[in-house]
Amino acid sequence: MEKNFIIAGFGGQGVLLAGEVLANAFMMAGKNVTWYPCYGAEMRGGTVNCEIVMNDTEEVSAVNKKEADFVVALNQASVERFVSKIKKGGWMIANSSLAKEIKTRADINYLFAPITKLAENVGNIKMANIMALGVLAKVSRLVTLESLTEALETVIPAHRKHLMPLNLKALKIGYEYDLLPV
Amino acid sequence: MTECLTKTGKKVLTKGNYAIANAAVIAGCQCYFGYPITPQSEIGEFMSGKMQELKRGYVSAESELGAINMVIGAVSTGVKAMTSSSSCAISLMQEALSYAATDELPVVLVSVMRGGPGLGNIYPSQGDYNQATIGGGNGDYKLIVLAPSTVQECVDLTYKAFYLAQKYRNPTVLLADGMLGQMMEPVEFGEYPYPEIDNSDWALTGAKGRTSRVIRSYGPLADDRCVFLKKLFEKYKTIEENETEWEEFNTDDADIILVSFGGPSRNVKSAMKECRRQGLKVGMFRPVTLYPFPSKRLNELAGRTKKFLVVEVNMGQMVRDVRLAVNGKVPVELFNKPVGSPPEVDDIVNEVKRQIKE
Repeated sequence: MEKNFIIAGFGGQGVLLAGEVLANAFMMAGKNVTWYPCYGAEMRGGTVNCEIVMNDTEEVSAVNKKEADFVVALNQASVERFVSKIKKGGWMIANSSLAKEIKTRADINYLFAPITKLAENVGNIKMANIMALGVLAKVSRLVTLESLTEALETVIPAHRKHLMPLNLKALKIGYEYDLLPV
Repeated sequence: MTECLTKTGKKVLTKGNYAIANAAVIAGCQCYFGYPITPQSEIGEFMSGKMQELKRGYVSAESELGAINMVIGAVSTGVKAMTSSSSCAISLMQEALSYAATDELPVVLVSVMRGGPGLGNIYPSQGDYNQATIGGGNGDYKLIVLAPSTVQECVDLTYKAFYLAQKYRNPTVLLADGMLGQMMEPVEFGEYPYPEIDNSDWALTGAKGRTSRVIRSYGPLADDRCVFLKKLFEKYKTIEENETEWEEFNTDDADIILVSFGGPSRNVKSAMKECRRQGLKVGMFRPVTLYPFPSKRLNELAGRTKKFLVVEVNMGQMVRDVRLAVNGKVPVELFNKPVGSPPEVDDIVNEVKRQIKE
């Protein structure tokens, strides 16, 4: 089985880091995984994205894929850019704090969550990326909170370890978002 | 980022650039000299911390010319040393590579290709196939060229690059591309898997107790130079006989064989599998060593397949070596993308179908 993910947003929203955490989580769950960033003259405030390909059979995956199973779009520009790349029956997970709740396709699933707002409520707007992973974990059922927690432990550097509790809180809130009263 | 060192038996998720740098350290690289350039700057970044920590040599050189000539100086003394760079900056090193080849010095050069020609851009490319395999230095010389296609292979072939450079006293290039440099995959480093090569019979270690040695490329007498070059090319012949490496899949019954090297070969492999799923007899061939090039094997395969399709991210460079190898037995076609991420799998599949129909 192969599944691929695109995480996209403004530079500075932690898009690449979220991808790295997700890729680590897959690796820790024993899957083959490839993380491929768009790289170029990207900068804070510009758009940035990364592609994560998870595969539990093939060791080597193709990259730069035409279609994605899941798109996590943290801003409106990313929704517009990637909505057409989602496979039939795939998922668009959009940050409704920064994107319009408009469904332009009938053949895919949408989940709008006010991720930035929820992150602010947790106490740090920078948690939006990890919160999005919580939402993705719930929707995709391809990665567990345990693997993501383990991945966070690996990815977050020593001098940022004090932010672990906040990250874990954000992850959990994202995961349980659909249970919350909206 | 300098933490991820030798966790033997444990997989770590890391970028191609860090994987190369880490592997070089494990391979026993004593000195790194470099000048930053995207998309390989992480190699220098990693080395700047790690080499200092291990009390080995690191110099942020004043230019690429400085860096490669520092490597020449270091390896002349018998230690393992390397530099890394990209495309337009590797152009600057061509003179030194010619000298290193003729001086028979085990220089290791990591080339992480980006868009060209000229300053080009920083996106992935395979536009330096010719630069690596043919080279831009003067005279008759060859560089051993290894082309990884995954991050794990970035590790394995970095080890191999150091080994082959030492074994044959020949400059060796690890030819990666911006995609591999920037991409992350789980890797296992393990230990350096090759034996250490004794270089006590040629290295410049101080002439105490022995006659002094000179390493130089100047050979003023015509006859001497003929003897030297013939000997040098005997060495290249040995390298061709012993070190040619490739991978092939489903070539036995293939009507068409896709040929691709490096990062983009991943997408070509997926395309080959998709073609097979659709009942098309498609095989794949991936040279791992670009010099020595697996010409002999390609020529054998030309006897049983109907066509080759070379897929490259450049304007068509390796295709020429494939055509030379096949020597007119069957058509060799090109499907290329000038620069950027590899062609999408569907596009390759469609091209294969078009080629089969023709």
